[in-house]
Amino acid sequence: MVAWDGNDTGFLDWYRNTIIPPKVNFLPNMEKMFTFRKDDGSYKLELPAPEEQKQLIFGIRPCDARAMAIIDMVFKDAYEDTYYLNRRKNTLLVGMGCVNPYDSCFCTSLGLGPAETTDVDVMFTDIGEEFIIEEITDKGKELLAKTEGLEDATKDDEAKASKAKDTAYQKVTRKIDTGEIGKRLPAAFENEKFWEKISAKCVSCGICTFLCPTCYCFDINDEKDARYRNWDSCSFPLYTQMPAENPREEKWRRVRQKVHHKYAFYPMLFDIIACTGCGRCIRLCPVNWDITQTLSSLPAEAAAGTEKKNGD
Amino acid sequence: MAISDISHRNRYLAEGNVYLPHIAVIENIVDETPGIRTFHFNFKDEKLREEFTFESGQFGEYSVFGTGEAPFCISSSPTRRDHLEFAVQRAGRVTNALHRLGVGAEIGFRGPFGNSFPLNYLRGKNLVFVAGGIGMAPLRSLIWNVIDSRDKYGDISIIYGARSPDDLCFKYDVEAWEKDTTVKMTITVDREAEGWTGNVGFVPSVTEKVAPSAKDAAAIVCGPPVMIRFTFPVLEKLGFAPEQIITTLEKRMKCGIGKCGRCNIGDVYVCRDGPVFSFAQIKAFNSDEY
Repeated sequence: MVAWDGNDTGFLDWYRNTIIPPKVNFLPNMEKMFTFRKDDGSYKLELPAPEEQKQLIFGIRPCDARAMAIIDMVFKDAYEDTYYLNRRKNTLLVGMGCVNPYDSCFCTSLGLGPAETTDVDVMFTDIGEEFIIEEITDKGKELLAKTEGLEDATKDDEAKASKAKDTAYQKVTRKIDTGEIGKRLPAAFENEKFWEKISAKCVSCGICTFLCPTCYCFDINDEKDARYRNWDSCSFPLYTQMPAENPREEKWRRVRQKVHHKYAFYPMLFDIIACTGCGRCIRLCPVNWDITQTLSSLPAEAAAGTEKKNGD
Repeated sequence: MAISDISHRNRYLAEGNVYLPHIAVIENIVDETPGIRTFHFNFKDEKLREEFTFESGQFGEYSVFGTGEAPFCISSSPTRRDHLEFAVQRAGRVTNALHRLGVGAEIGFRGPFGNSFPLNYLRGKNLVFVAGGIGMAPLRSLIWNVIDSRDKYGDISIIYGARSPDDLCFKYDVEAWEKDTTVKMTITVDREAEGWTGNVGFVPSVTEKVAPSAKDAAAIVCGPPVMIRFTFPVLEKLGFAPEQIITTLEKRMKCGIGKCGRCNIGDVYVCRDGPVFSFAQIKAFNSDEY
């Protein structure tokens, strides 16, 4: 995140995307769930005052806005997660299309693009000296109605915006074939050799999950007088450790879990891939592990002779 | 496939927040084995005490405030509502803290969570219960549930084993079931022990010897993973179809509601979609990590 002085808009020229994804504004890396204290020998629990503070995220990239829509599904499922959903309700997303995507970006392979407007309330598109601003939702419309100093866009501005969007789209050159991946991934699940090879250089640091805009896994822990929720990661063996067993003790199982969760299991449950091609896990990995490489090298057929560890 | 609908399940949320526990008071503690205790508890809130219902097989998230939270099945039967029970084996931080609590201590409870044993399916069938060690905890909820509607079920046989005579839990239940002429009770320990005159042998091999008939029957299995894995093939050999074999799985859990992520087996979340599964369902899992 960049601290902004409120005046200098120069960052708009060099800002590409944040390191920490905007999910942190809805699912903080650490948050107090409730406090407890003993009063006359009896416990009193207290929820934090509901956060009614409205917030606006300015300049959210389309990939990260889509990521919020994706993890909404988990937090809305069956039992509503009031902490997360309250913040979602109170937040406006002002998106800004990318003009200069990273070479690690591959959003166009995941059903969106650097100018995608579906998941934001308002969308900014850089047309050189000015921005075209589109109102997308009713909330966005309301915001723009209250904003002073806006001018109506001309036909020429609109043409420029459309060209800027096309150019940005063309700049995303990294591609994966999600159709082929969907076919190959289930068959590759039991291919232990493949996952061992793929995960060999991984150091299980968890960076790719903590900085993934769609990773939402968390831990719940107590301090002396409060219960906290913290980000957690399937990269760590402790994540699944039980007293006598651990279903994902081996690193290759954890890497396999991460890839399958995003590209196989999540689509089975919610009909959408839990990846937006933001590229953070590629450009921020300390050992240059590359999910697009993994997905593009999935074997065409299940290798014979791989063994089940459990079950038989 | 899509995510299963669980909206029909009973829910008792404190202040509408699924993560906020209800306060419960420990009313009695039973030492089952040197490392396992059963806690009897009731909700502090009288209204909740009256309203609360659950089904055999469901679990709760129990808090020791200041230490943390851990999941355990409700080991008492919903047909016996004087109080609720859960059994805890000392293993980590929360379980050790629970073992340090005395009668009158306050704990937190969230739940009930998860699915339950399929009573509709089990009704009218001969039931074979196979349990190992503390794995009897979820089964005893179901066993008492079934015994309390005895005429709705066929024959009941129970095969229960532990490492040693000292490791057998719920001895008071076992005694009651031994006296019950409508129940066929078999007890075994893994190794010979001084003063032990009963069966010796692992649960799977004793099950093979007892050889319960698969006809109009269902087997309900719970115990350490290794026991479960070796019991499935024995039951299959005895003619049980995978649909007739039911178990309850265990995973590390935090939220209890399918959000925190860690208890998945492929696209299945044990806390949300389980913990009760048939062997047929388990065979259809798209992962071997159970």
